Amino acid sequence: MPVIAAAVCPHPPLLVPEVASGAAPELDDLRAACLAAIEHLSTAELLLVLGAGPSQRYDGSAGWSFAPYGAAGVRAGESVLPLSLAIGAWLVEQSKAAAVPRVYVAVDEASAKCLELGREIAAGNERIGLLVMGDGSARRSEHSPVHLHPRAEIFDTTVATALAEADHAVLAALDPDLATELQAAGRAPWQVLAGVLQQTPLTGTLSYHAAPYGVGYFVATFT
Amino acid sequence: MDEHVLRLGSRSFGVDEFALMAIVNRTPDSFFDRGATYATEAAYDAIDKAVADGADLVDIGGVKAGYGEPVSEEEELRRTVDFVAGIRARHPDLVISVDTYRSGVAKRVADAGADLINDTWAGADPDLVYAAAEAGTGLVCSHVGGLSPRTDPHRMAYDDVVADVIRTTTALADRAVAAGVRTDGILIDPTHDFGKNTLQSLELTRRLDELAATGWPVLVAVSNKDFIGETLELPPGQRGAGTLAALSVSAWLGAQVFRVHDVPAARQALDLIAVLRGAAQPAGTRRSLA
Repeated sequence: MPVIAAAVCPHPPLLVPEVASGAAPELDDLRAACLAAIEHLSTAELLLVLGAGPSQRYDGSAGWSFAPYGAAGVRAGESVLPLSLAIGAWLVEQSKAAAVPRVYVAVDEASAKCLELGREIAAGNERIGLLVMGDGSARRSEHSPVHLHPRAEIFDTTVATALAEADHAVLAALDPDLATELQAAGRAPWQVLAGVLQQTPLTGTLSYHAAPYGVGYFVATFT
Repeated sequence: MDEHVLRLGSRSFGVDEFALMAIVNRTPDSFFDRGATYATEAAYDAIDKAVADGADLVDIGGVKAGYGEPVSEEEELRRTVDFVAGIRARHPDLVISVDTYRSGVAKRVADAGADLINDTWAGADPDLVYAAAEAGTGLVCSHVGGLSPRTDPHRMAYDDVVADVIRTTTALADRAVAAGVRTDGILIDPTHDFGKNTLQSLELTRRLDELAATGWPVLVAVSNKDFIGETLELPPGQRGAGTLAALSVSAWLGAQVFRVHDVPAARQALDLIAVLRGAAQPAGTRRSLA
């Protein structure tokens, strides 16, 4: 059983207290849910952090920074990771999984390629903990960063149910064009997770599903 | 770019001279005044009051900046052209600016008497510079981080927001010069909040001297904006003192033109700062001197 556990977390810059300033306590529950989910990965031999971004693999020493979002002091090394993986790295560093050797993979491939990558990960020999960084639609409400889209809520609800039920078929069937239109950054990473779940029967638990600022956030664990 | 006199309409502003721009919206849904001057008579009254209160320029907007009901070019023209002509007839020396991103609107309002085109969406319409060049108006060159008109920022990221603003606005200014826009009518505007989060708008305010050092006259539009609201946790109607603080720091750091809602308050602040900077004399100093 090469993938022993997986976690899904969102990646808004706002999750970092230095970015959120005085608004930081508003996401205390989300941060806590993320860290609790990542704890399930701490017994892995290798932590694979997967997130949206131009497809590329980074080694565990890759740097990241929140200076581009206004928090110049929150950084590690020379910044190369895209936002999704930077948030992943930042979360892992605070978690019990911080000591586990780590690699990062950014992915923006079509569905079939994502599923194939997931099956490849699942076929490896190492005991892998998979951290999947992905956001739902940024068009959930009248006050969303991007204006309300009538299909945003049903899209996010579909994703939430699929994560809760570890339903790889539903995740695999997410339409990349619709996800782009809805500005749902998680589509490609979730479809890699779907490829993993095709090979590895894990049980899903959804611990957070909300859009407090009009962007869909999910936290889930798979064990 | 050497420092130079700013010429708009019949007015000239030396490098040490502040210019105050009053906002008068012809929109039913502006974020701040919520349509207070949408009706024509109310708008003319607002212009008269702004002039009496010390405005050097008025900025007329026919389309709400943020997301809202679509406004056709025809409707934008209907809201602005006759109004500009009316203002010109009533106030021959007032500098009239029009906030538009459409070249078709720019051309028509210039014909009606506008002196400055405030292109808040940073060259979204590539023909706008030619309209300004042909009409001989000034032009405001803005920074919106690549956003399309009337969209909001989502996770905008900059290696250095100030460097990005300088690079973008000076490139637009150079392009305007190449297109034939008068060099002495061009301003750059960091455009706080457009394509920026609050931390990024604060950084721009803090480092405004770097923009001023480009030599282009800098316009700042901080009035009642969300970066002030988020910083102080105050709604739009209660950001007046915060606005004056941001305006004053900008003025001290070298901004020259100030786009505001509250003209008397801004005039008073700028008149004091002009004296502090040594660009003007106190009105009269009698205390302890008789």
